[in-house]
Amino acid sequence: MNVMWDIIPIGIKINFFYTNKGLDDMVKIGIPRALFYYYYYPLWREFFQNVGMEVILSPETNKEILDNGIKATLSEACLPVKVFFGHVIALADQVDYLFVPRITKVEPKAYICPKFMGLPDMLRARLHNLPHLIDTVVDTSSDGNSTQCWTDCLQEVGSMWTNNKHLVDSSIVAALQEQNRFKQHLLDGILLPDAIEGTVIPEVAAASHPQQTIQIGVLGHPYNLYDPYISMNLFKKLYSLGASVVTPESLAENDIAKKAGMLPKRIFWTLGKRMIGSALNFLENKQLDGLIYLTSFGCGPESLVEELVVRWTKKQDRIPLMMLTIDEHTGEAGIITRLEAFTEMIKRRHKA
Amino acid sequence: MDLYLGIDVGSVSTNLILIDHQGELYLSPLYLRTQGQPIAVLKQGLALLEERLSATDRICGAGTTGSGRSLAGALIGADIVKNEITAHSVAALSQVPQVRTVLEIGGQDSKIIILKSGIVVDFAMNTVCAAGTGSFLDQQANRLNLSIEDFGDIALQSTNPVRIAGRCTVFAESDMIHKQQMGHTLPDIVAGLCEALVRNYLNNIGKGMEIKSPVVFQGGVAANAGICSAFRRALETDIIVPQHFDVMGAYGAAILARDYTIEHGCETQFRGFGVTLLEFQNRSFICKGCPNACEIIEIKQGKEVLARWGDRCGRWTVAESA
Amino acid sequence: MKITYPHMGNVCIVIKALLTDLGLELVLPPPTSRRTVELGVRYSHEFACFPFKLNLGNYLEAYELGADTILMAGGVGPCRFGYYAQVQQQILEDLGVKMEMVVLEPPDVSFHEVKDKIHYLIGDLPWWQVFKAVRFAWSKARAIDTIEEKLLYFRPRVKEPIKLEGYFRETLKEIDEAADRREVERVVNSFLKKSEIMPQLSVKPLKVGLVGEIFTLLEPFANYDMERRLGLLGVEVTRSVWLSAWINEHLCRGLLRVRTECSDDKKLAAPYLNSFVGGHGVETVGCTVGFAQRNYDGVIQLAPLTCMPEIVAHSVFPAVSEDYQIPLLTFYLDELSGEAGLQTRLEAFVDLISAYSRKKEGVL
Repeated sequence: MNVMWDIIPIGIKINFFYTNKGLDDMVKIGIPRALFYYYYYPLWREFFQNVGMEVILSPETNKEILDNGIKATLSEACLPVKVFFGHVIALADQVDYLFVPRITKVEPKAYICPKFMGLPDMLRARLHNLPHLIDTVVDTSSDGNSTQCWTDCLQEVGSMWTNNKHLVDSSIVAALQEQNRFKQHLLDGILLPDAIEGTVIPEVAAASHPQQTIQIGVLGHPYNLYDPYISMNLFKKLYSLGASVVTPESLAENDIAKKAGMLPKRIFWTLGKRMIGSALNFLENKQLDGLIYLTSFGCGPESLVEELVVRWTKKQDRIPLMMLTIDEHTGEAGIITRLEAFTEMIKRRHKA
Repeated sequence: MDLYLGIDVGSVSTNLILIDHQGELYLSPLYLRTQGQPIAVLKQGLALLEERLSATDRICGAGTTGSGRSLAGALIGADIVKNEITAHSVAALSQVPQVRTVLEIGGQDSKIIILKSGIVVDFAMNTVCAAGTGSFLDQQANRLNLSIEDFGDIALQSTNPVRIAGRCTVFAESDMIHKQQMGHTLPDIVAGLCEALVRNYLNNIGKGMEIKSPVVFQGGVAANAGICSAFRRALETDIIVPQHFDVMGAYGAAILARDYTIEHGCETQFRGFGVTLLEFQNRSFICKGCPNACEIIEIKQGKEVLARWGDRCGRWTVAESA
Repeated sequence: MKITYPHMGNVCIVIKALLTDLGLELVLPPPTSRRTVELGVRYSHEFACFPFKLNLGNYLEAYELGADTILMAGGVGPCRFGYYAQVQQQILEDLGVKMEMVVLEPPDVSFHEVKDKIHYLIGDLPWWQVFKAVRFAWSKARAIDTIEEKLLYFRPRVKEPIKLEGYFRETLKEIDEAADRREVERVVNSFLKKSEIMPQLSVKPLKVGLVGEIFTLLEPFANYDMERRLGLLGVEVTRSVWLSAWINEHLCRGLLRVRTECSDDKKLAAPYLNSFVGGHGVETVGCTVGFAQRNYDGVIQLAPLTCMPEIVAHSVFPAVSEDYQIPLLTFYLDELSGEAGLQTRLEAFVDLISAYSRKKEGVL
């Protein structure tokens, strides 16, 4: 690929996605299996496939990916950002373009995390020989919503690719439909890894099986919870310990928003708000026997959000809560011990 | 002969070294345990040096470095008081003029220095914990009932080092016990510990550094063949261990003192070996001048205050003798 | 109502002047000390930022002295600062500490929110009295900036820096005690005169720009007296943020005209960091580029540990350092930062930049 991305005069529309390959050879767009993959992958995949690109997804997180990510980032960065870097490195020499939208706001008056907002800049400053980054801004206007911001973003991306406005529009419609289907699957109780790619992972699906002896609400951001390497197969482990799980993804957006709205001050992090709202829902859920809150070491917003959740759970004094803080040094043995002890304790409470 | 004295007062050891005009070592360096008593050890070291000097020998300059550099500087009347980074890089440069990377691992701290055409361009010191320092090895050797001297050779016998996880010594230790209980051989565990130290070192302080050869490895831990080979594997380059790897800080201080006195053409401030006979009183007290409640440290010789530091506002500070 | 507010450098002098003139009763927390840190750390989340912990410590110490109302600034994200107050209030409540919290911040819904809060504090005070109080406090803010700037300039130049610091502390006290604007002006001028006639060294000091998160920049306790350490090592420090500029930007919405050396630097960040990331992330990058363009010898970044915007800024530093060939050093500060290590790193950095600058001038 020899595209001079940087020197194209502003205002002149040029087919950005120029390729010197044969016609059959589709342009490859890479999507890192990290961070926002867990929220928007169906939307992105459907869109890019519809406009005629080949979507390349990085492999599941493994040791090499994590090690590469750790090497490329500051030690002060949080684990999810390190993992994201690792996935970008894994894709770098396989694709023509990388899709790393700069997600600022997906709803009015609330931000995504500062670190995620600066992702494209951090990638450029710290990694050399990157494929071209498509870092279109996703920023909801004050009267917009999550559909509008993505429509705007994809329209901009599409217009770089083709002059066929009709194709772009129809692709966006199809993408939004796919995203809605994904969300509906989550509400129906299908766990995220199954819903996101339509593949069925038996252990994970079984973990949500209601016939288990105890039910545990698991709080945490999807990019930590559903990355089996990061969470050290949390769901599978819980299942083998006789627990079924309930996750924030199975809650309706409205229910989360309603609970989060009870706070004295509006929370200005979209993801943090999800955690608070989900926690408050879980605390009222009489079916749950325990809560596990998985956070990553050094997460900024979590230091305040988690503080509130812990304090409220204590005050309510009904459901036991276990915090699991993970980072690249976490040993699996320690996690197993803690999960065993926690489920054991709950089972004993049942008997008593 | 005209000599220059370099002293490195660290938390674990206090080293004294003498060099001549050409930077050649005069007599063998002294390596003493600080044992929490820097003043006594310093006097002991100076006394030992004096015994070995001949009547024609003369100290023309003195420099101090290490965490106790200010104290030592005040006591002996140093011409120059320098931080460890500068001292170590000066020493490494004198041995390997082309050096691009200095790895230094001592008892309780470690550092990395990146140089380009003889100038320090980047550096880092360990900030988090002891997992990348010598005391990590000391502790684990202790737990395995090995002497630290044998540690390196045992590591070299390993064919398949185990991976020992852990951000800090405590976690690494529990993981090591776990690996022992799973039945790994001793050499594999020892080699695994060496790799863990090197990994922690490179991931913490070596992070983001452009490590280019020639690489010079100094500090007490450089004696350990297991660590050297772990570095060689991790960096895929040869590792140079200078002859006097364990006293490089003091060596750097001596060179700095030599250059300083020659450049300024001045008489040395060195107070002579007579200081070993003097009584020093050190004390600390809490200043009640304001709510900051600073802890002031004071070194006195008889009625004369040699040095005082520790205050944030400067009202107690007596200018250092550098 | 006994009002207190958290410390941030010398900002307490300004707020004291303002609130006293508005007829409010004040209970100042004692200056931030080891005890403040201990209190704050004990009751905060491990990863909460350093300013959060120090604030909390300040409140608890002020409470012991009888304060019952906390005046605090806020924000609307995405920096964590905007949510401090709510979490701190929950912590205080759980501790059984009864304190009211009044948070001054940009309105979320309407301007009435701000108006109501101000009314709650000062009742029906006539507007001219409010105006007078604001103007008086503003004059003190400007005065503090003026003498701090001179202190930074002269400290590496004079032969007796400790004596200069003594003058500075006296003047600060006099500004605090000054009853009117003319008095403020007089003590500032007297400081300027005294410092200008002090005997100076013949060497030209190295120049270092200080960038980063505002609290760690302005609060000497949080940055372990970084400016003083550098000054005594013979370095002239230029700070990217000044108290009056900050007040203007955050409390007066930029209505006043305050020029500082770094006023226009923010836009220089664009090639490296092209998006708002909360806090002072963009300013940090922009000012670093600005200092580099003005031929400073080095730039030091200060940030509380886990500070998100500053981590983003720090992440793009390699590109800035490469383009401008300027040494950059970052300190993440919290209650566990070791003072000895910090001093050694500073000294080594000063040696590094001095070797660099000599090389640039062709001496080496």
